[in-house]
Amino acid sequence: MIGKELIGLESEPVLLKIRPEVVQRFAEATGIPFDERVPPTFVGTLMQANIAGLELPIIGLIHGEQKFTYYRQLYLGDSVTYKRRINDVYERVGKLGNMTFMVLETTGYDLMGELVFSSSSTLIAPEKGENV
Amino acid sequence: MKRLVQYEVSDRLPVRKWVPNDIQIRQYAEASGDFNPIHLDDNYARLAGLGGVIAHGMLTMAQMAAMLTDWMGKEGELSKFNVRFEHMVRPGDTIKCSGYIRERSENTLVCDLEALNHKEERVLSGLALITIQL
Repeated sequence: MIGKELIGLESEPVLLKIRPEVVQRFAEATGIPFDERVPPTFVGTLMQANIAGLELPIIGLIHGEQKFTYYRQLYLGDSVTYKRRINDVYERVGKLGNMTFMVLETTGYDLMGELVFSSSSTLIAPEKGENV
Repeated sequence: MKRLVQYEVSDRLPVRKWVPNDIQIRQYAEASGDFNPIHLDDNYARLAGLGGVIAHGMLTMAQMAAMLTDWMGKEGELSKFNVRFEHMVRPGDTIKCSGYIRERSENTLVCDLEALNHKEERVLSGLALITIQL
């Protein structure tokens, strides 16, 4: 169930060292070449930071939009601290009827506390996101 | 080969073709940790009203990213990368990622992006902001 009461919920920060073998597995699975630079969409897989009160996946939930802003290039072996937050929940009438939109933001910082990337995912649930 | 700094408004980017299959989608689920059954279980995906399994949007976005990074090499860095998933991508589809330069300043390129399937349906549209490493 997704509702406005979820807005503002956030995860604890998670510290992650970007291990070369994990990036390699990601690159091989996607079929893309990589070097010492972390592929752009890899940070989209940083979902281990659970938001208490939000249970995913929800049946029928689809990924509508994805935005990344990179403040600097990430390299293999870098450490990032990231957290996730529910930035918005809103309803809109679309071609499939009433839809609920949820905007999840992930922000990543380096060890100095400098912002490295931010990511915004818009997830769309039919009805009110109730299980069918 | 044309350098990144030589690209001008309306120039096209090199195209990337991609044909997803079930094995790749499963590998992507494992590599990304996104095990939503709409990507893995055909029956489940049908019951969810999708008509069968669909590829992860993020897997399609990764192909678009690969088109950009192959093209830029070390001459550019991505500063913004935004996409909208407009249509479902299924195993066996032929997806063509393309783009062109919409705006440019001395060290910045703004690219319009789109990915079409073999039925000419747009599965993804987007924008990339690239900083040229001068």
